Amino acid sequence: MAMMGLGVFCLILSFIFEPSQIAAGGFHARFWSNFLHNAVFFTGMAFMITFVIAAFTTAYAGWYVVFKRIWEGFSLFLLPGLIMMLLIGVAVYVHFNHLYHWADTEAVATDEVLKGKSGFLNRNWYLFGTLIIVGGWLFFAKKFRALSIAEDEHGDHATNFKYHREIRKYAAIFLPIAAFTGPAMIWQWVMSVDAHWYSTLFAWYSMASWWLAACALTIMLIIYLKSKGYMEFITKEHLHDLGKFMFAFSIFWTYCWFSQYMLIWYTNNGEETIYYHTRKTEYPVLFFGNLVINFILPFLILMRNTTKRRFGTLFFSAALVFFGHWFDYFYMIKPGVLINAEEAMAHGTETGHDAAGHAVEHTASFVDGFTIPGLIELGVFLGFLAFFIYFVFNQLSKAALVPKNDPYLEESLHHEVQPYE
Amino acid sequence: MKGQHKEVLFGLYNDEEVLMSAIKKAKKQHLDIMDVYSPFPIHGMDNVLELEESRLHIVGFLFGMTGMFTALIGMSWIFGGSLMFDGDWPTIFGGKPYWSLPAFIPIVFEMTVLFTAIGMVVVFYIICGLGFGVNNPILDDRITDDKFCIAFQTNGMGDADLDKLNGFFKATGAEEVHTKAI
Repeated sequence: MAMMGLGVFCLILSFIFEPSQIAAGGFHARFWSNFLHNAVFFTGMAFMITFVIAAFTTAYAGWYVVFKRIWEGFSLFLLPGLIMMLLIGVAVYVHFNHLYHWADTEAVATDEVLKGKSGFLNRNWYLFGTLIIVGGWLFFAKKFRALSIAEDEHGDHATNFKYHREIRKYAAIFLPIAAFTGPAMIWQWVMSVDAHWYSTLFAWYSMASWWLAACALTIMLIIYLKSKGYMEFITKEHLHDLGKFMFAFSIFWTYCWFSQYMLIWYTNNGEETIYYHTRKTEYPVLFFGNLVINFILPFLILMRNTTKRRFGTLFFSAALVFFGHWFDYFYMIKPGVLINAEEAMAHGTETGHDAAGHAVEHTASFVDGFTIPGLIELGVFLGFLAFFIYFVFNQLSKAALVPKNDPYLEESLHHEVQPYE
Repeated sequence: MKGQHKEVLFGLYNDEEVLMSAIKKAKKQHLDIMDVYSPFPIHGMDNVLELEESRLHIVGFLFGMTGMFTALIGMSWIFGGSLMFDGDWPTIFGGKPYWSLPAFIPIVFEMTVLFTAIGMVVVFYIICGLGFGVNNPILDDRITDDKFCIAFQTNGMGDADLDKLNGFFKATGAEEVHTKAI
């Protein structure tokens, strides 16, 4: 609770302490970008876990059943996530903030590129699209949870696995829906911060980031719960497999990151390259730090078999990966928001793209809370994290820790990946 | 050991459960099992036989590093501009610098994978004695089909020891017991 208090306190602080360079604009860009960053990060984790539950169920996976209840808790976080994203949506709608350049109707009117995109990037779709799509995700998350609880109460063997079949049906429906709507939400929430720029790989890359963060948090929560004496039926075999997921998807994430980077670097198409040029020259800590935390360190630490089977090293690397992907979202959102804020400030005095050009030059100086995560950003992060964990544990306390009638429970209890140490 | 025959006493079992309990009993009696043969991998067998973790992945890592450096150094040698190379045949592609790392990474990646894969296969074959021209005697054709086998090496064993092994096979429910020199 104290941590949640810290989070709220830091959010308020970020509202007050706008960096001096853009304070004159009065956009409260630091507050809104922090809020957007964390809301997107944690909502996305909830979404990815819902997706993964659906994927595992469809794929007849059994090993994950022992910690399925933790993931159900994760997936239900879509409800607070929906509320937070709607708050941002409403704020965008009534121009409370200036996160998105495309929300500025005057600028769009003189901008051919944004005019062409306005069918997707407009305030109505941002608000109502979010409502419909995240609402849809929440419907499926709640359905999976309700059926899983019903399975506990009424028994599955007696009903010939009726509830499990039902979950499988909903999971199969959810998969294609999630595959199309997930990227749409990412384009809208995150990629459209840089409204002129686009990348077809962006959704892959950021969804991998969400899933890695969720996987790392799962590992940390399991180790924490085990240290408190709960869930002793989750063994290091399960954690080993989760560690493998973390290892493999760290490589997948890097693959997506690099593919996106290399294609843009090689093509050297001005309007695309400027995105990376800005980040590499003005945010080197974010740009290279991102790769070090999210690829080089997990790759080297998790490569050894034994590091995935010892709680200490696994917890350390999970914490690293979790923070790393929060950092990754920071990198995706903050520079773009800063550029937008500066563009909007310059808008009054200069016109069109001259202003944009000047704004980009201005960012060369250090801007509190944008160039690298400051203490306030870390406080907001911890606050959101505490809220997320509180929410998950609250959900966990509402049902049995073991889905006792799940048809795959036995398989999961005897899960074994490596017989020797 | 080269050129020397191995005298092998082996028992055939019909069921992997029986085989597993037999191995456990052999371990308890401190019998020195030469090898166990099965037509398919049996879950938990490594544990019972007290096998060590394979070190093949270390070989894989070393081959991967070799592949990575081969590709990096090879391209640096051709293009020059870095890693102390002058450039054997510098060529400009797409207006990029001679030595442009992002363009090299896919090739470095592919070479790493190629070296790792081929290297590990070759080493695996050598460890298992499956190279070209190697003749591997098989104790009994049926161990590749439906029989499970425990084999003991009996070179220079006295009658008392042989009786003990025969007794062991009988006690653990072996269907057949044979001897063979390989």
